[in-house]
Amino acid sequence: MLEISDLTARVAGKEILNGINLTVKAGEVHAIMGPNGSGKSTLAQVLAGREDYEVTRGSVTFEGHDLLAMRPEERARAGLFLGFQYPVEIPGVNNVYLLKAALNAKRKAAGEPEVDAYEFLALIREKMKFMQMSETFLTRGVNEGFSGGEKKRNEVLQMLVLEPKLAILDETDSGLDIDALKVVSKGVNSLRDPARAVVLVTHYQRLLDYVIPDQVHVLSGGRIVKSGDKSLAQELERRGYDWVMGAQVA
Amino acid sequence: MSAALRSFETQWRARTPDALQPIREQAMQRFLKLGLPSLRDETWRYTDLRSLAALSYGEAGCAAGGATTGDAALSLVDFKQHAATLTMINGCPLLDADLPVVNCIEINSIKDIYNRDPSQLRQFFEAASDADQRRWVLLNTALFIDGLYLKITGAVATPLVILHVSTGVAAQAAHPRVIIDASPGASATIIEHHVSQGDIAPLNNSNTHIALGRDAQLEHYRVYATGAGATHLDSLDIHQAQDSQCRQFTIALGGGLVRSSLEARLNQRGASLDSYSLLVGHQERHVDCVNIVTHAAPHTRSRQTARAIASDVSRVIFNSKVIVNAGANGSDSKQSCRGLLLSPSAEIDTRPQLEIHADEVKCAHGATTGRLDPDMLFYLLSRGLDRETAQSLLVFAFLADVLTGMSVSSARAAIENALINQLPDAQILRKFR
Repeated sequence: MLEISDLTARVAGKEILNGINLTVKAGEVHAIMGPNGSGKSTLAQVLAGREDYEVTRGSVTFEGHDLLAMRPEERARAGLFLGFQYPVEIPGVNNVYLLKAALNAKRKAAGEPEVDAYEFLALIREKMKFMQMSETFLTRGVNEGFSGGEKKRNEVLQMLVLEPKLAILDETDSGLDIDALKVVSKGVNSLRDPARAVVLVTHYQRLLDYVIPDQVHVLSGGRIVKSGDKSLAQELERRGYDWVMGAQVA
Repeated sequence: MSAALRSFETQWRARTPDALQPIREQAMQRFLKLGLPSLRDETWRYTDLRSLAALSYGEAGCAAGGATTGDAALSLVDFKQHAATLTMINGCPLLDADLPVVNCIEINSIKDIYNRDPSQLRQFFEAASDADQRRWVLLNTALFIDGLYLKITGAVATPLVILHVSTGVAAQAAHPRVIIDASPGASATIIEHHVSQGDIAPLNNSNTHIALGRDAQLEHYRVYATGAGATHLDSLDIHQAQDSQCRQFTIALGGGLVRSSLEARLNQRGASLDSYSLLVGHQERHVDCVNIVTHAAPHTRSRQTARAIASDVSRVIFNSKVIVNAGANGSDSKQSCRGLLLSPSAEIDTRPQLEIHADEVKCAHGATTGRLDPDMLFYLLSRGLDRETAQSLLVFAFLADVLTGMSVSSARAAIENALINQLPDAQILRKFR
């Protein structure tokens, strides 16, 4: 589904990614871990198409298409979803309106008709209930005045409505209390499907107790320095990032 | 002396004196002495009137243009949802036999009132001032032919619309005058809608004076929607008594050169003003807005919310000043001006100012101007919205603070509609509504 090869990228003139290689197959859940400043979020943003991040080398294919040649909106419509680490507040743009516009953009790209208003509302209500979100959310501006936890739930809600083929969740677990973490994990798990894939970018192992990854990668200095199965995350938790970084130096 | 000044003097000399002569005389003498404002005057530093000064102006008469009355296309408010429309042509009110009857609003011509009893209106004509922002008010006082005097005596549920129609040629000048006098406890919504017949119109030098009695409430709109060749100099004076509340909307959506000023005085404890400005620069339009709010009594409150958008080669200026007089402790004011540039050749200047002479006050101000927020834009794109839609959504979101404050839904809808036509990607924006 996703094939990243020797990906190198720069932000504000500084190399942040230094040759990433990663293959994610349909049905898989990958976790990307690493210390602060290792390039985790940059990788997520580059995959979503952030324009001020300059790709200087390498290639990324998504379902056989050249992802780097696609505009951010085209990537989204093709089934890529980024759950933001810091979802931006957009006062004046209604939450429901955004959800509907996003869903219709995707349907239009797939040659499907626009969603029926009644059907749409029913869908939103169902997903909101699943995410344990209050109905007042419907009338508010996008992320406007949301707490950190509410913003993350909102990201997962959008993901559930859009049903992406590939979801990249950038620290969706950070700042969540244990109850919210369970709800968010439930949302992510509900999307697990042989035809979909999930990339979890996370700093802590905690989320991986609830969403069990198939593979775990450790990012450091802009490259993947170690890969393994879920036990790698547990070992990291025990021994800390210094253990992998030490291994890298040796 | 400029050609314009000479021509105004000629008009002045040709007039037949009337019951307001002493007030007019004083105003005209000040005006002639001070001359037209120039770039050297503090509140005029962004607006060059030299081309205007080079013209000689005749009087724009009270021609009763048949086509202008009751024209639905010119109406800003759904006719089922408002109490009445009063039409003024070049400042002259059309007060004929069909004059609507609205409960709790007495509708009169200013001329009729002062011919009967000049003392009744004297309080609404301010003493001649040398302040540069009042220069054109002096001329209006000297030369206005007639105007509307509205006395609100009770609670009026539905909005009253004043349709100002400007018609004629650029070498003419009109001086529309409106007085809104709300009795203690009265409440109303009044919408002043300025339009022109065609792109070219006389120089329009309008003034509105609002006086709110104790506990009175007014929602007032002034909507500039004249043609692209029109010059409009508009001034608004608001005087508020104890516990009165005023919500004021200034909407600049038309005209070639628009100068809009607001001077509010919160004269007694508990008076509260919410001023909203939506200033839209489009094509070659120049919009210069000046607000001066004076807290003249303790425990008075003001809020100013201005949103400026400029596209093409337009220019929008918003200067606001809050003055807290000595002794006006407990005054509470906020100024928020934000500008959004939609073209590299457009320009927005905002300048919030504070002048505080009291001790215990709460005054906040902020001003920002920029382009669309790239983080917001990327967020919307990452959800699959196309770029034009995302940009247009953000433009509307930017204006939401002003638009959502409007309680007259049909006026808001009409204003949004007109606004959309002046933004890039009008077709896309239509789909949102």
